[in-house]
Amino acid sequence: MPKSQFVDPKTAFTPGYIHFEDIPVCQYNKTLAEEKKLYTKADFMRIYHDMRTIHEFETMLNEVKVKSEYNGVKYNNPGPAHLSIGQEASAVGEAYCLDIDDLTYGSHRSHGEILAKGLSSINKLDDKELYDIMKDFLGGAVLSVVEKHMKNDGDIKKLAQNFLLYGALAEIFARTTGFNKGLGGSMHAFFIPFGIMPCNAIVGGGAPIALGAALYKRVNHKKGIVVANCGDGALGRGPVLEAFNFASMDQITKLWNDGHGTGMPILFNCFDNHYGMGGQTRGETMGFDMAARLGAGFNPDMMHTERVNGYDPLAVIDAFKRKKALLLEGKGPAMLDVVTYRISGHSPSDSSTYRTQEEIDAWKAADPIAAYRAKMVKGRVATQAEFDAIDAMIVDRMTEIMKLAIDEEISPRMNLDKDPDAIAGIMYSNQKIHSMDPSRTAEMTKPHDENDRVKEMATKIRTATDENGKPVPKMKVYNIRDGLCEPIIEKFYDDPTLIAYGEDNRDWGGAFGVYKKITDSIPYHRFFNAPISESAIVGSAVGYAMCGGRCIVELMYADFIGCAGDEIFNQMAKWQSMSAGILKMPIILRVSVGSKYGAQHSQDWTALTAHIPGLKVVFPATPYDAKGLMCNALEGTDPVIFFESQRIYDKGEEFHKEGVPTGYYEVALGDPDVKKEGKDVTILTIGAVLYRALEAAKTLEEKYGISAEIIDARSIVPFDYTKVIESVKKTGRVLIVGDAVERNSVMKDMAANITELAFDYLDAPPVALGSRNWITPAHELEEAFFPYPSAIIDCIHEKLLPIPGYVPTHNFSDVEKIDRMKKGV
Amino acid sequence: MATLVIMPRQGQSVESCIITEWKKKKGDKVAVKDVLFSYETDKSAFDEEAAVAGTLLEVFVKDGDDVPCLDPVCIIGEPGEDISALVAQAKAGKGGEAPAPEEKKPEAEAPAAAPAQTAAQEVPAAPEAGGFLRISPRARKLAEKTGADVSKAEGTGPMGRIIERDVNALLDRGLTVQAAAKEAAAAAEAVQAPAASAPAATPAAAYEDVKMPNIRKVIARAMHASLSNMAQLTLNASFDATQIMAFRAAVKAAGEGMGMNNITLNDIVLYAVARTLPGHRDLNANYFEDKEIIRYFSHVNLGVAVDTPRGLLVPTVFSADTLSLNELSAEAKKVIKSAQAGTISPDLLKDGSFTVTNLGSLGVESFTPVINPPQTAILGVDCITRRVKNVGGQDVFYDAMGLSLTFDHRVLDGAPAAKFLKELCFNLENFNLLLAK
Repeated sequence: MPKSQFVDPKTAFTPGYIHFEDIPVCQYNKTLAEEKKLYTKADFMRIYHDMRTIHEFETMLNEVKVKSEYNGVKYNNPGPAHLSIGQEASAVGEAYCLDIDDLTYGSHRSHGEILAKGLSSINKLDDKELYDIMKDFLGGAVLSVVEKHMKNDGDIKKLAQNFLLYGALAEIFARTTGFNKGLGGSMHAFFIPFGIMPCNAIVGGGAPIALGAALYKRVNHKKGIVVANCGDGALGRGPVLEAFNFASMDQITKLWNDGHGTGMPILFNCFDNHYGMGGQTRGETMGFDMAARLGAGFNPDMMHTERVNGYDPLAVIDAFKRKKALLLEGKGPAMLDVVTYRISGHSPSDSSTYRTQEEIDAWKAADPIAAYRAKMVKGRVATQAEFDAIDAMIVDRMTEIMKLAIDEEISPRMNLDKDPDAIAGIMYSNQKIHSMDPSRTAEMTKPHDENDRVKEMATKIRTATDENGKPVPKMKVYNIRDGLCEPIIEKFYDDPTLIAYGEDNRDWGGAFGVYKKITDSIPYHRFFNAPISESAIVGSAVGYAMCGGRCIVELMYADFIGCAGDEIFNQMAKWQSMSAGILKMPIILRVSVGSKYGAQHSQDWTALTAHIPGLKVVFPATPYDAKGLMCNALEGTDPVIFFESQRIYDKGEEFHKEGVPTGYYEVALGDPDVKKEGKDVTILTIGAVLYRALEAAKTLEEKYGISAEIIDARSIVPFDYTKVIESVKKTGRVLIVGDAVERNSVMKDMAANITELAFDYLDAPPVALGSRNWITPAHELEEAFFPYPSAIIDCIHEKLLPIPGYVPTHNFSDVEKIDRMKKGV
Repeated sequence: MATLVIMPRQGQSVESCIITEWKKKKGDKVAVKDVLFSYETDKSAFDEEAAVAGTLLEVFVKDGDDVPCLDPVCIIGEPGEDISALVAQAKAGKGGEAPAPEEKKPEAEAPAAAPAQTAAQEVPAAPEAGGFLRISPRARKLAEKTGADVSKAEGTGPMGRIIERDVNALLDRGLTVQAAAKEAAAAAEAVQAPAASAPAATPAAAYEDVKMPNIRKVIARAMHASLSNMAQLTLNASFDATQIMAFRAAVKAAGEGMGMNNITLNDIVLYAVARTLPGHRDLNANYFEDKEIIRYFSHVNLGVAVDTPRGLLVPTVFSADTLSLNELSAEAKKVIKSAQAGTISPDLLKDGSFTVTNLGSLGVESFTPVINPPQTAILGVDCITRRVKNVGGQDVFYDAMGLSLTFDHRVLDGAPAAKFLKELCFNLENFNLLLAK
């Protein structure tokens, strides 16, 4: 909603037509004679070699799965094997013209894609670069296996091919000598130095991540393009379509870089193998007839969409060359629909009940490798004997590599008995990096001190009350919004890679005003409005971070976490550990817990995010804590889900008498804070409920002589229980309160942990008090739903410490509890 | 009717007391206010006086026994009186063998299925069927520690659960039991006792084994902890004591006539310390290492190390910085006296913010006082020696008093400690000015 663009009612209703250009379908028709002008014999042979290598690699995996044996070598692999036999020409065609700077993100069926890209990169790197890459990777662990145990005639490229095949296979077999120490596995293998980016077992999961990589290149002026591979089945997934749209946003060319911007350098490539698992896309589960049609609707350039013959590697290369050129000219994004066929089943357990043998036989007869070889022999490029020699070499090499990859001595698995923290140690990167790219100066449009928000904050009073104890007026007080925003502005100036986006971030300043007035000094491409595409917002942040950037993305309401479920739970949370610590994930995901907005806009979903290993979760409730935690999260390298609450954005600092410091400071992640000391009962609060607990504590103290200690959790993951246990040892009683619905809440988890840790000191079981297990009702009815002070006192009276003469209004009896649980409410 | 005498609880933190000496023995006549026995806590000594008159019919513990507070000690009654019920009560175990409590409670009264909110609180804490007692882990732990008779507890927690406050209520009423097992063990010990004490009885013994008194154990623990946990070091300095000696002489000569106390040199040092410390808060502090907290005191709670017959005690003069020299002198004398008499309240033996210890009167010229944790410093007062200084080219003799300041280097550094010492010396050298301040 930039004011610079006028939405004119006069033109909005102008009659006319939308024109579509023809979408080319398998229009490649060059003769071999024509192609011979472009390719040397070595090029032609390399294409064969690469296709044949992929085929053999997957054949080996298939044999191991179905016969537990390949070429006389026995092995049992319990892990998955989602193969792409039949699609080799498509993969090699794609990789052929990609450079090291060009990145590929794999589809669900990605062995072929990663091997093709790896083989292509090996061909393009010079020997020294190549050897250095291998030597430096994981301290030479992968290289030393192939160097020591395989025949080596001094040919670095051959050595590198062995390295690639062995690293990938060892990864698939979960060996520590795999590319990711066996923690990624079959569907996740990657090797960044060759431009092979992480592949995804979640169908379509890679598209928004690849978008983020393209965003990284686009924003930080990096060379190369990004290829997002997916299958035709993945085109049914929202995140993929969100990524298409996000990459096509008008603002990229019209508003970024003062309107002189180039398009997003991303090619969405669909390996259209006709099936999504067993569902036939064309004719059954989709309506596009041909996948290429989808790209046509996303922007006036129709995403330069085209359908090509994926059974002819030369046709695929031809198409990729043309698309890459478009992207480098700044005309991205683009889409390709590469028609191919998966001869193998979806997985080895697939009995192909959904297709006939006749169909499979027909595609086998059209086998791209055999067809290519026949064409080359016929065209006198090479003889059968030359091809036979390549075949024999590949089978030998594959056998040798398999033997190495299954050797328990040479390729051991992680020993979790000896090193029980091997995985725990890589769940987070836990680093402090001030700038993700100290070599560059941040692009900003105004000096820091001239920023409107900075100027405004300078006039604010940084405590909730003035020196006379009177509350500072709302417009004057430095509030939680300021606490969040101040370190973010600083970071924009300090870290050139930092970008922030989300719905209504820029001009509106975020739906709740956290970014208000910061726009004037940050260029558009570093701070922009995203489409209403939560998957693409979070997914692209993951891709952006993977490439070495830092970002802050915002989902407005916490309730929208569900819209980005896969991106938060499977992508952002897991890539650091699935990469064995190779990747860092410096992302802050801001979500706001609503108030007064009913069932779909008022939920505290801390429990969902806290449940997933790999995420850090915080929920500050004061300006001091908001700033300290934001400083810490922004300096870190781990994904932090930053919960905020719309009830308390206006709160000034009530606890730190000196007020919120103007300079940099950190609040440690995981460190709860005693907000009020007491001796009779501990109340541990999560988020905004802190203020209601303080109110309850005041009543308890003034009316009933009960002294409550209030501890603000501040963080949820990680969480140090020491202070809480100390408090419970003193009081013997603890109530854990939060606004999330009670069932399976963080409060329940904490109650269980405190019970374990302080059992002997307890005078009553720790009690979790959350909201009722209902939908959030209208604001006027909220008191019956959220934990208000009356419920807090009643709960203490009924569950922890009966107060003589007190008459509760809520029913916390065991009978009521059993009844509620029985009814599931 | 016979009366069961229990070991009193001297303060919330005291768990047990040692019987130092029985003044009466079984069969003796006892009048009200007669001392039955002496006992000591880890900090003070007390005499237990008889509250009723009669004959000492039964004694459950002997000299040197460490008796948990509120445990039965003896029975006073009339000769021939039947005290079997009281003896049984005293010896009763905590389990089911206990004699029926006076108020017989309804058996296994299950809580009503849907108790009304207020009714829930009134469910009695009777053991449920199968001997299950609804009691919180914290209350159970406290009961085990104190021997409270939870069978008599009135559960005021949710659903009638016995909670911590109910056990405290029992203790306040003196309702405790002694485990049968504990009693048996004590009996067995009594049988072995003569054999165990045999070597000590040998007249030719070249040494005597004496069980360390409680108070000594406490001092031992505190001193060892102090030296092993802190980073202590001592600064020594001296000042020209001419002025304070003259002042002391003046008080001695004319003070009494003005209704003043006998102000000693030590009182003068205490006064100067109390007035100098407020500007040096790191030294007027407690450091709680486990909590990583330094507690700065707004007033000076001055500990005064006192040598008593039982060992070192450090009574506290609270808010010493607000007292006049005369008041401070009186207050210090009072607490020193009660410390030496062993009658000091345990509440006056804690919460000090700084300590002064004086070995000067014993001729010590310099020493390394040991900090009384969690305090951060201690000042040792040394004796007066004659020294020479050069004034205007002339060697002049003067009386110098030494000061030895030990401080915790974890909390503060040498320079701030030295600054305090320097200011203290200045204030003492110019004591008349300090008084006027």
